[in-house]
Amino acid sequence: MAKGIRFWLALWLGKFISFVLKILGKKGTTFPGLVAGKICPDIIKNLAASFRGGTVLITGTNGKTTTNNLVASILETANKSVAYNREGANMLPGIAGTLLRNTSWGGKAKKNYLLLEVDEATVPHLCRQLRPELAVITNFFRDQLDRYGELDTTVKLVKDALPPSTRLILNADDPLVAQIGLDRPHTFYYGVAGLPISRETNQESREGRYCSRCGRELKYATFHYGQLGIYRCEQCGFKRPQPHIEAYGVEQKPAGIFFRLESKKDNDYAHREEQETTEYIIPLPGYYNLYNALAAFSVAECLGLDRGEIKQGLLNFVSDAGRMEQFVLPTCQLTLTLVKNPMGFNQVINTLIELGRPLHLMIAINDLAADGRDISWLWDVDFETLVSGELELKTVICSGLRAEDMALRLKYAGLNEELISITKDLKEAVAELETRKILSEEAVFILPTYTALFPLRDILISKRVSSFPVIAKTEVEGL
Amino acid sequence: MKLVLYHLYPDLLDLYGDRGNVLTLKARCRWRNIDLEVRQVSLGDDLSLEEADILFLGGGSDREQNILGRDLSSKAGDLKQAVEEGLVVLAICGGYQLFGQYYETADGKKIPGLGIIDLYTVAGRKRMIGNVIAQVTDFDQNKAQLEDKVKLNTLVGFENHSGKTYLGPGIKPLAKIVKGYGNNGEDGLEGVRYKNVWGTYLHGPLLPKNPHLADEIIRAALKRRGYDFELAELDDSLEIKAHSAIVGRFG
Repeated sequence: MAKGIRFWLALWLGKFISFVLKILGKKGTTFPGLVAGKICPDIIKNLAASFRGGTVLITGTNGKTTTNNLVASILETANKSVAYNREGANMLPGIAGTLLRNTSWGGKAKKNYLLLEVDEATVPHLCRQLRPELAVITNFFRDQLDRYGELDTTVKLVKDALPPSTRLILNADDPLVAQIGLDRPHTFYYGVAGLPISRETNQESREGRYCSRCGRELKYATFHYGQLGIYRCEQCGFKRPQPHIEAYGVEQKPAGIFFRLESKKDNDYAHREEQETTEYIIPLPGYYNLYNALAAFSVAECLGLDRGEIKQGLLNFVSDAGRMEQFVLPTCQLTLTLVKNPMGFNQVINTLIELGRPLHLMIAINDLAADGRDISWLWDVDFETLVSGELELKTVICSGLRAEDMALRLKYAGLNEELISITKDLKEAVAELETRKILSEEAVFILPTYTALFPLRDILISKRVSSFPVIAKTEVEGL
Repeated sequence: MKLVLYHLYPDLLDLYGDRGNVLTLKARCRWRNIDLEVRQVSLGDDLSLEEADILFLGGGSDREQNILGRDLSSKAGDLKQAVEEGLVVLAICGGYQLFGQYYETADGKKIPGLGIIDLYTVAGRKRMIGNVIAQVTDFDQNKAQLEDKVKLNTLVGFENHSGKTYLGPGIKPLAKIVKGYGNNGEDGLEGVRYKNVWGTYLHGPLLPKNPHLADEIIRAALKRRGYDFELAELDDSLEIKAHSAIVGRFG
């Protein structure tokens, strides 16, 4: 492909700005891409074309970042070279920035594979510039309605944007996701046969209650959580597709989630099912991380990696910024984990209850653009379960710009008002947490929304004794 | 003492944390030893209006509003009569629009509403999104007493709609916009106040941070059943703090 002067100008200026920013110690990831995109609107198209292993796109409401980093961990463990974007860089300028950093001054890709987590609303724009080999859709939950309009719109946006030649990797358990593969024969599905928390009925508010094809209410044999489960439509016959890989024997242990796999193999068109005895471990708590692991597993399998490599890659994974990230402070050990929508928050609450330890909790709710300006989603979170008494709550500190809203939500969930404290400033809230008497058997969690996460991380990093990666915990507490 | 709240189509109209409104009414009744029974009514379910004290409708996506508009139209006559007789209704966003004469789509098609209140909605091009503060214009005869008790004379919430609603002649709004768009972004009015119906674009949800409105609704429902007494005072310091934080930040 002949590349014009605009391309070279965009590449060099973009790389130069990145270089200067790096020297200045700035974290800015979107500015170089923004400039390059202004000079050469086709910059992503031109740069992406030189990644010989092709592009893998990851989108969906929850789990994009963890899935993206899990795939990277697996590929790197298997000695494959991969370029991938970081969270906060999942819209066009950030993606262009990632490409610039991974392209030489001479315009050649420095890595083989290109791995991109992509904001749902950005998928159509990106797919005008490149054609992914593989595209993963993790799930569709209610998220930031003020930005995307309504969920139906988001689903349609993503569905219509993905090129027909892209092989889709879809979560079979989410009807909103699975229906996207209806007319696409090469779709690869992953799913879960059962979780310890799976139930036959589900009272929580959920999405995708009605069949996307005919509008009839879907019938469920099993709910895993939210609308994820084993479902069918009695009217038109739409049902959960048989997953190519399906997790069973799932257990949550201190070291993470343990699971085994059943695979549908279609060698020589002869379908046969295989149960493996290998046990896989994803060193993260929370069943939602099992789905992230299965999505990453599917990508690796579609790229032709062998399962031994995949197993090791999952094990090597160290959690990312604010994803069940561990900190050791002088007074306590704590976990920092992002909350951004009802389903994600419910999963964190379930995880806290499964841990079963008395809890010191700090919740930091902001309402800036990246968090979603509308905080009504807090009322769709199942705080009633959190305060039901099953878990002993020792401390509850509400922080952030919307601390009062959070406190009010907990009051109406039934939490004793005297237990709730409101400290809007993040630094002061962490300081308050540190003054609490915390016993070794008690757990400490900080749950921030997006724009509170990074300031909190900086505060915690400045206070920590040492980093405490989750993988070390695996060794300590034993398998 | 017992009240019955019908939560209409909770499975279809549940976009903006609307169940928070029901939780708030339930809790504020419970704290005063009033038993508020919540019954959920969905597509095809019977709605026995004579047992209803409070009707609640939330906001939904366009597709879902169409489905239930058809379902509800068979009940329009009974509903209209009940409203005229003082049935207490809180209708938010899509639910609010539904009480009007019609909704005119972008291509000029008029989808009939329940025709209970003289108001209509026209699809707009721009989505009206953001925090809202509105001055309460009229809390009927209870206004003075309300202001004494909780000292709130504003409503706060969040709006997200593209439909522009216009009130017919003589139809009173719920409040006047201080900040935000309200009914249509043009006439400075927010919501509707008709008989015992409260219609509004505010979610967030509405009632937790507007305890004075929640109590006004409970009071109206009790009065209609012949209980005419003062509601026991509650400690609303947290509610008022959350309300004031919005007024302070966006007002």
